[in-house]
Amino acid sequence: MTRAEAIAWVLASLAEEDLVVAADGAIAREAYRAADRPRTFYMLGSMGQVASIALGLAMTRGERVVALDGDGNLLMGFGGLALVGGVKPPNFYHLVLDNGSYATTGGQPALSQQVDLAAVAAAAGYAWARRCHGPKEDSSAVEQWLAAPGPAFLAVGIAPEDPHPAPRIPLTPEEMARRFRRALGPGERGQ
Amino acid sequence: MSVSRRLDALRRRGVGFIAGVPCSYLKTFFAGCLELPPNAFLPAVREDHAVAACAGAWLGGVQPLAAMQNSGLGYCLEVLTSLHLMYRLPLPMLVSDRGAAEDFEEHRILGQRTRALLDLFQVPWREAVVGGEEEEAEWLLATSGSRECPAVLLVGPGRDS
Repeated sequence: MTRAEAIAWVLASLAEEDLVVAADGAIAREAYRAADRPRTFYMLGSMGQVASIALGLAMTRGERVVALDGDGNLLMGFGGLALVGGVKPPNFYHLVLDNGSYATTGGQPALSQQVDLAAVAAAAGYAWARRCHGPKEDSSAVEQWLAAPGPAFLAVGIAPEDPHPAPRIPLTPEEMARRFRRALGPGERGQ
Repeated sequence: MSVSRRLDALRRRGVGFIAGVPCSYLKTFFAGCLELPPNAFLPAVREDHAVAACAGAWLGGVQPLAAMQNSGLGYCLEVLTSLHLMYRLPLPMLVSDRGAAEDFEEHRILGQRTRALLDLFQVPWREAVVGGEEEEAEWLLATSGSRECPAVLLVGPGRDS
């Protein structure tokens, strides 16, 4: 399965009110191309912080929050797994697109080829964690993940190749942040 | 009312989410944070995660605040530059002011360059004074809010309250 197919699979399974934090690099660009939505926040930098940004959202909002992460990104901010596993926000849904490499920077290998990310998430305290290899082998994996108790973690194995990379997102960072915040309105929790 | 006058002053002005990593210079402030409702305080594992979570809270419509030792500014630099400064996200920050000549050596190199580091990235800062909690809370929220960027209150020894 390609990154584009995996992202289309996940986005098609979400409800309109769900909040998404899309990882910097190819994942955010692909999420924008596949289905731009005001309730998706597109990261451009701060690699490693997908889970932490999503955690700040999950602690201050009632909606389901989906962290659309990559394996290299997650490895860079591995402490984020301890934060989510320790705080246990029930509305936190973590999806990691795992191609075993740093695809955005030229396909250098990542240690996710050796480290079982779902096992680490489970050990960190996620209520549900597993790995799947795409809809052909396991057509209900995303559905099961979204129906599981949160925080829930799903690693999806994808191909390292990217035949049709998505272009850069034609919004300024300021527009991305303000559009997202406006779509949500004031937070109700955390007070 | 909590054990921390500074925390109370910030909460009264709308701070609804705090994330941070403790510093002994901010012991009273963190003692107050531990009494907050579960979703109002995130005990972060490292300072970059704390400021990233604060960005999430701001995007979620809740006023955040980050608190940390000044050594943590180093860990934060990438997130502050490519998230808060680039997307123009307000972030009031309490940062301990370690690194004076008589402080332990592990605090000196970054500690003595804290002001220069903040100036380099045009992050507004000022120093906490005894009894200044109300006015300093006002300044932190007004400055970070109107300039849409991080703003730092440096808390030196004996300024924790």
